[in-house]
Amino acid sequence: MSKLTIQNLHMHFSGVRALDGISFNVNEGEIFSLIGPNGSGKSTLFNCINGFCIPQKGDIVFNEIDLLNKKPHQIVKHGISRTFQNLQNIPYMTLLGNVLLGAHSRLTTKDTLNRWFSQREREREESLALEVMDFLGIANLEHKYLSGQPYGIQKLVEIARALVCKPKLILLDEPAAGMNDQETLEIAKIITEIRDILEITVLVVEHDMNLVMSISDQICVLDSGKILAMGKPDEVKNHPDVIKVYLGEEADA
Amino acid sequence: MKGRYQDENLKWIPILIIAIYLFPFLIKNATFSYKYYLYILNMAGIYIILTVGLDLLSGFTGLMSLGHAAFLAIGAYTSAILVDQVGLPFELSLIITPLIVGIFGFLIGFPALRIKGMYLGLTTMGFGFIVKRLIIALREWTGGSAGLQVSKASFFGISIKNDWDNYFLIYTFVILAVIIARRIVQSKLGRAFMAIRDSEQAAQASGIHLAKYKMIAFFISGMFAGFAGVLFAHTSHFISTDHFDISLSIFFIVMVLVGGIGSIYGAVLGTLFIVLMENMFIPLFKDGLSQYMHIEAGEFQVFIFGLIMLLFIIFQPQGLYGMWLKMRIYWKLFPFNPRKRFT
Repeated sequence: MSKLTIQNLHMHFSGVRALDGISFNVNEGEIFSLIGPNGSGKSTLFNCINGFCIPQKGDIVFNEIDLLNKKPHQIVKHGISRTFQNLQNIPYMTLLGNVLLGAHSRLTTKDTLNRWFSQREREREESLALEVMDFLGIANLEHKYLSGQPYGIQKLVEIARALVCKPKLILLDEPAAGMNDQETLEIAKIITEIRDILEITVLVVEHDMNLVMSISDQICVLDSGKILAMGKPDEVKNHPDVIKVYLGEEADA
Repeated sequence: MKGRYQDENLKWIPILIIAIYLFPFLIKNATFSYKYYLYILNMAGIYIILTVGLDLLSGFTGLMSLGHAAFLAIGAYTSAILVDQVGLPFELSLIITPLIVGIFGFLIGFPALRIKGMYLGLTTMGFGFIVKRLIIALREWTGGSAGLQVSKASFFGISIKNDWDNYFLIYTFVILAVIIARRIVQSKLGRAFMAIRDSEQAAQASGIHLAKYKMIAFFISGMFAGFAGVLFAHTSHFISTDHFDISLSIFFIVMVLVGGIGSIYGAVLGTLFIVLMENMFIPLFKDGLSQYMHIEAGEFQVFIFGLIMLLFIIFQPQGLYGMWLKMRIYWKLFPFNPRKRFT
């Protein structure tokens, strides 16, 4: 069963306790949301799962594979891919190229050599990306250069790049940041489709509460490196601590 | 779907290749001093092979190198020693020498895993100095600072005697080098290189082993330089450490920059531009100017190239190839082109 288990994770940056004993489970085929105020350790958690940061203590296990001492490029091969909060794209490459970059681990050296000589291999390689781009509705832009594309498209390219390596778990870091309401609705639709059609488990960090509440199967609220509350959207919404963190305490309480 | 998998330039390539091979016949009838022009073009051809490799490293992977003259030197001396002193055939040296230089590139790649930008430039520059001193020190094989005579090449039974023969030999490999470089850029490897240049995070998250691909970039770039070195040694018949100065490394960077960093055709155009400038246009007005300015010939070139590079960086950062692309779009849209876009 494909499932992510995080146990007692500690990540300190010299004095700052970014993550302070986090434990949770992400079950297969669910949308798991991480929310919390700024600096509560959501992105650090992503970086730990992804291998950019090495936690001091704790366990990260995915499908019975210990991810703790793996490099980022190895973790992709185990079926975890991610997007970034601030866009990390290659501006002077076509959309197709950007998406194909994500397929890096799926292409062998033999594929590359074959591609040099045969048109059909080339089309096969590009079909990997076009499949995903079609799914996200950006296939018509395949030959446009990424620089100069609107922000929404660039976000979708990031998601496409994360999807093209056929992950079992995808980490989305603020997919709806900087989007208008219309685009946010589209993102919500895409995230649920990723779960339902592609059957990929989704772990998402997001600040847009409407989006989070409407799509999540489970929500985990973080505050300064600790888990504040965890559960179904309705439970979290009415949790007193969560209200306190988000709205502040009443003055005369 | 027409033109989906292919470059638009593709239909021009066969014509261009034919033109390259016909060119010597053309100028043979046109001018008396055609041998001199061929000599200059041969030089340009050798440099093109090198700058294409440098572009893969500096333009695509974003790893600056100021030591490419050293790679060229290693290639030239290795081939000279292998052919003349060890007795290997030239054809074999064409395969072995680039590999050896590639390994040198690989070794230089190690510090590149930790350092970036200007510091890497300085490191590779230091490598250039070391190589130069080493060549002088290993007098028994390299002839020290006196230089080394190199035998003429023979390529599968065809002996390469003069500039006329050299031209065909060199430009065959130039075409090959450009095609190979284009293939590299369009494949998984090229995408990995560009990802490393623009976003190391994205590269890692896409499953790219940063260290491995930086090493590969250095290796490939070294191989191109080594190849250029072999051709350099066996077509100029005499090599000495003076040929591989630090200023040459800087000129290579200028060539890539002027052509348009991060495009293979750009490297080709930039190299042709600079070499032709150096040998054909600057001599035209150098004598006239020297009446008014007390300036040495070598300094004058550096002055002009510095100026050219400055102007290109300010006014045309995409280089010559970028200019060409803009012109192409301009004519395609003519006369419905918005004026401001093309200034």
